Amino acid sequence: MKRHLLRTVGQYGAVLFAAIVLNFALPRLAPGDAIDYILPDEVAGALTPAQRTEILDRFGLDDSMPEQFGAYLGGIARGDLLVSVRFGRPVTSLLLERVGWTLLLVGGSLVLSTLLGAALGFRSAWRRGTSADTGALGAIMFLDALPPFFIGTLLLLVFSVGLGWFPSYGALSGQEAEGLALVGEVLRRAVLPVATLTIAGLGPMYLVARSALVGELQEDYVLMAEAKGLTDREVRRHAARNALLPVSTVALVGLGTLVGGAAVVETVFSYPGLGRLIYESVLARDYPVLQGAFLLLIITVVLANLINDLAYPLLDPRVRRPRPRRA
Amino acid sequence: MTLTDVEPPSPADAPALRPAAATSRARREAKGAGRVMGVLGALLLGGCVLVAVFAPVFTPYSPTEPAGTPFSRPSSDHPLGTNDVGQDLLAQLLFGTRLSLVIALSAAAIALVVGLWVAVVAGFYRGATETVLMRIVDLMLGFPFLMLVIVLAAFFGRGLGTTIGVLATVLWARPARVLRSQVLKLREVDHVLAARAMGCPGRWAISRHILPRITPLAAVQFVRIANIAVMLEASLSFLGLGDPSRISWGTMLYFANARSAFLTDAWKWWILPPGLALTAVILGLAFLGYAVEEWADPRLRRTAPRPVRRRSMPPAPPEAASAPALRLEGLVVEYKLPGSSVRAVDGVDLTVPRGHIVGLVGESGCGKTSIALTVSGVLRPPGRVEEGRMWLAGHDLGRPARPAVAPFRGRKVALVPQAAMNALNPAYPVLDQVAEAARLTRGAAATRRAHELLERVGIDRSRHDAFPHELSGGMKQRAVIAMALVNEPALLVADEPASGLDVVTRAQVLKLLVELRDELDVGILMVSHDLPTVSRMADELAVMYAGRIVERGPAATVSSAPQHPYTRALFSAFPSLYGECRPLAGLPGEVPDLTSTTAGCRFRPRCDEAVEHCAEEEPALAPSPEGTTEVACLLRRAPGAASDGDGDRDAAAARGLGP
Repeated sequence: MKRHLLRTVGQYGAVLFAAIVLNFALPRLAPGDAIDYILPDEVAGALTPAQRTEILDRFGLDDSMPEQFGAYLGGIARGDLLVSVRFGRPVTSLLLERVGWTLLLVGGSLVLSTLLGAALGFRSAWRRGTSADTGALGAIMFLDALPPFFIGTLLLLVFSVGLGWFPSYGALSGQEAEGLALVGEVLRRAVLPVATLTIAGLGPMYLVARSALVGELQEDYVLMAEAKGLTDREVRRHAARNALLPVSTVALVGLGTLVGGAAVVETVFSYPGLGRLIYESVLARDYPVLQGAFLLLIITVVLANLINDLAYPLLDPRVRRPRPRRA
Repeated sequence: MTLTDVEPPSPADAPALRPAAATSRARREAKGAGRVMGVLGALLLGGCVLVAVFAPVFTPYSPTEPAGTPFSRPSSDHPLGTNDVGQDLLAQLLFGTRLSLVIALSAAAIALVVGLWVAVVAGFYRGATETVLMRIVDLMLGFPFLMLVIVLAAFFGRGLGTTIGVLATVLWARPARVLRSQVLKLREVDHVLAARAMGCPGRWAISRHILPRITPLAAVQFVRIANIAVMLEASLSFLGLGDPSRISWGTMLYFANARSAFLTDAWKWWILPPGLALTAVILGLAFLGYAVEEWADPRLRRTAPRPVRRRSMPPAPPEAASAPALRLEGLVVEYKLPGSSVRAVDGVDLTVPRGHIVGLVGESGCGKTSIALTVSGVLRPPGRVEEGRMWLAGHDLGRPARPAVAPFRGRKVALVPQAAMNALNPAYPVLDQVAEAARLTRGAAATRRAHELLERVGIDRSRHDAFPHELSGGMKQRAVIAMALVNEPALLVADEPASGLDVVTRAQVLKLLVELRDELDVGILMVSHDLPTVSRMADELAVMYAGRIVERGPAATVSSAPQHPYTRALFSAFPSLYGECRPLAGLPGEVPDLTSTTAGCRFRPRCDEAVEHCAEEEPALAPSPEGTTEVACLLRRAPGAASDGDGDRDAAAARGLGP
């Protein structure tokens, strides 16, 4: 058990390190030199060679690669990322300011899509082969085929532009609000983005839940549960208990997909989260921000995977209490 | 490290509930949701491919040249209007099909080739190469796809080649992981092992045995990643990170969004068409993927048994006390498959008195397990009870379909299923599982009763809270027996109750069953092909062949003086009869394919005593010449015992006995 834990943490450490190295290497592999990378095109183009050398020297960009890498690692350790080109502010504070909004969207839709997807998937599995199952499967596959930004645009068209129920952009209105009013405002403006991400995350969840339960229902212990006289509801609980394992895995690992989706959805709704920040930074070629955001995302996803691995034993007694070795 | 996708369940894990001969047939005749989806998917994709190829035929305009006034509404000239710089939107939609498909399919193809290569190298050669490769795969799968794509695209600039390269870079890991696990399995298949042991070069084994077999799975993976590729390309272009000089559907949507097309009604012709086109392609790929996957794994095609509401058990009839535990008349069970049906049980009569053990023996596939499942009320589709009548401890159940037996499950009839090792739910302690059954009749005292029974079957109190994986095979077997008997049923159906146990444990478990039979006065229907054991334990033996009982009588008589040629063959093949179902030594041929009914005796093709008449009349069970057993053979008939009214023929058959 302890060894397993160490191994798991070690593996995720390796993932993290690889991401950090990639993050360091990418801008240095990309075409153009460091000046193009940290400064906007207009400014970089107007520099004299002497100015270029001076800037490179000031940022330590003419040091050897190991030296640069050391400085980079040190920066990360201190939580000190580069400075945004566009905003002229430290990337770290910029990220912290935005990450809360994305957490709201991703967290909300993760919970909703997991609960809804698992419930529908289990229901389908229980009725597999019937028209109810086929209908649900077809409908979910259709929803799953809608690109997230298209779902977002459609929701925006119907509920915001058409019905006027929800505002079409932003996370807060301009007016000052406090207490409950503020909470209400925030929730109201989160409805459409969260709905979009929920619909987008529903498909994989449903399919995994369905196929996991279909698999469990073929097991002998289900036959036994039926034969010993349990009700259908009790039999279902037996099978669902084991089908929860893959479902929980997909929920936590799906976090990465949802974060990716958030980039697109926040763009549609002009939502001031991390995804929107990334998008704007790409357009403005604000690479330091891009680099920092990418690092933050990776850390989040790796943490989610780690939590999944550590939580797994709670669901599976075979991992929690491995059979003692015989002497 | 656990990551994105869950391995699909393998068809090999499926319990062998239906005859093997039927499985391959069912595979060929795949039908239902999968087939419909396959056709729909092919139509959607086919349509898109046609549009992509013939795009210039449908529109005179170029997607990148201004063709009219900017922002014009749909007209006969421009069916979808124009965009902000006057480009024709229909032309963009049609040519966009080309770009979207080219990018998605080439990225998926590259990713599949790379993934397949990694899977084969890692899975076949193993060792350090595998460790390193699979770590890289894990790393790749750990990153959020879209983020990686965005960042890579941002750093490497925009362009067709970059997009394809970036997509392939993030997509190859998925097929690599799924396909490797398949390669690992195939590597250990007997003939591949043999080829390797004989010194065949690895390359030969790979191209000859491995690659052809993983092709279906590779096809599934190709469709899946093509699906993701379409979605990623669209998202990338939607963010304005695609190739700026070419127009794809995502690019159209990018410009529509950037120009706020949703604020006017321009969305109807600017946003909706490319969005729906994307949906159509992705849906087509998803449907196709589902159909291919179902074709590769027939298990996904099974329908669920109809839910059964548990009704309360009717009051016991007055004759219940003296009635036999089980009476079965004319049971017919069929497995209905698309295009064919298998009659696994074809007119079986059976009685199990209380306190008796009736052994039901025969080769695999003769219908024993179908009877066991039917009687226990857990026969699953495609199995179906066609005819028959069942009495359980005096209750007349009529035709023993699931709903008829369901109220009695656990209370009057209990099952110890085949491979009882797997009959315990790994997620719950055994005590809970026994108590849960005991709740049927004991209510609040269920836990105490569960302790009692577990102790009775020989599981020490300290082990009651153990999880199944913490118990030995014999212990699990005992726990299952406790679970079955906790409500003191009238009938216990034990399907291979001691298979998979070592000899000593098996003897202990069987001894336990006999003791419990005496204590609880339960009738036991013991299904087995372990002939020596069953004939020693059982009071009565029923021998099945191809869905029928061919001989029945007191166990001692049947085993010491078998009448039917099949029973004789079985008992003469005695010493080799241990273990799993292999063809019997000394008995040529196999159990006939039950999809076809031939006239005459079913055993005739394998019988060395068969005479001409055996091909014409199907023998019914009738008293044997000695009168001690019943036997279904034209050649072993008591004088004067006429079969279904054809005495002359019978006599002729009897004469045919002589040389």
